[in-house]
Amino acid sequence: MTPERIAALVARWVRLYTRGVPTPIAQRRIEEIDADLRDHLAHERTHGTGERRIALSILSRMIRGVAADAAWRGRHAGAAAGRPTAPEDAMTTHRTTYRSAVGVAVAAAFLLVWLSLGVGVIGKDGDRANLMYAGVLAVGIIGAVIARRRPHGMARALLATAAAQAVVAVIALAAGLGRPWSGPSEIVLLNGFFVALFAGSALLFRHAARSQPPRDTAAG
Amino acid sequence: MPRRKPGTLLPLETEILEVALSMLRTGRQSFHGFGIAQFMREQRGSSSLTSHGTLYKALGRLEEFGLLTSRWEDVAAAEGRPRRRLYELTRRGAQAAEHARAAGTAPAPARLPRIAPEPT
Repeated sequence: MTPERIAALVARWVRLYTRGVPTPIAQRRIEEIDADLRDHLAHERTHGTGERRIALSILSRMIRGVAADAAWRGRHAGAAAGRPTAPEDAMTTHRTTYRSAVGVAVAAAFLLVWLSLGVGVIGKDGDRANLMYAGVLAVGIIGAVIARRRPHGMARALLATAAAQAVVAVIALAAGLGRPWSGPSEIVLLNGFFVALFAGSALLFRHAARSQPPRDTAAG
Repeated sequence: MPRRKPGTLLPLETEILEVALSMLRTGRQSFHGFGIAQFMREQRGSSSLTSHGTLYKALGRLEEFGLLTSRWEDVAAAEGRPRRRLYELTRRGAQAAEHARAAGTAPAPARLPRIAPEPT
């Protein structure tokens, strides 16, 4: 896990949550974070900070800011879309929330595959302990199939996925997997990030279920 | 981040204004995101920097409230690295920072002046 790879991950995250936000606002956020990441790397290296410590510091800043990122996105993307007023708009709200939930879940799944196969969440590249994440994804996929894409069911499926992710972290910590490349704090931070994403998606699905208009209203 | 009382600033926003005022008094008129995060870390004696999302959301809010202004750094000055967004305290921002500093070292939102508009 090099600082550059983590910086690239942060840059991808910024590009993901700025999608659908008016271009000037999105572009400003993207450029500001790009400059910040570059300054952060340069500053820490000038002061002789170790590579792993720099990487963890950048990752920690991203994870701690996810809630603020989501709130910022909600404000700007919501303003761009306009405020719902009529019953038809309740359907629009439901659809938007449902799509956001799907987006967060799919993005989390792609990031998990990329990190576990390409970089190694546990240990170094190619550590077989990362195969446990296939189980996490399997829980999500099976849950989605059982839920048949209904929001209540999807919320439960994503909560189960978050729980599976947490179980993998507990196993890795208890068994000391990935040592010496992955310390306990790194395992907690990385897995905590995915738990937050899957749980966030579950919350969005729950919101979508609540904002779903009655069938006769939606049809009429 | 704590919830905002209408018309008040959050502790982080006050901290940014106070740090910006300190920088201004040492001759640094403008600052950029990482720069102020680093300055705040030093002042707090903390090991961690403010998160990206929280920091830039707060800077954006302060600009909306008219307490900061911002502009892009010249491309030539950037010398090939990503250009920075440079922030400056406005007169109102400096007054708010002075007021917060006079009110105490750890101001609570309720003790701050009513300088921020109602959140939209």
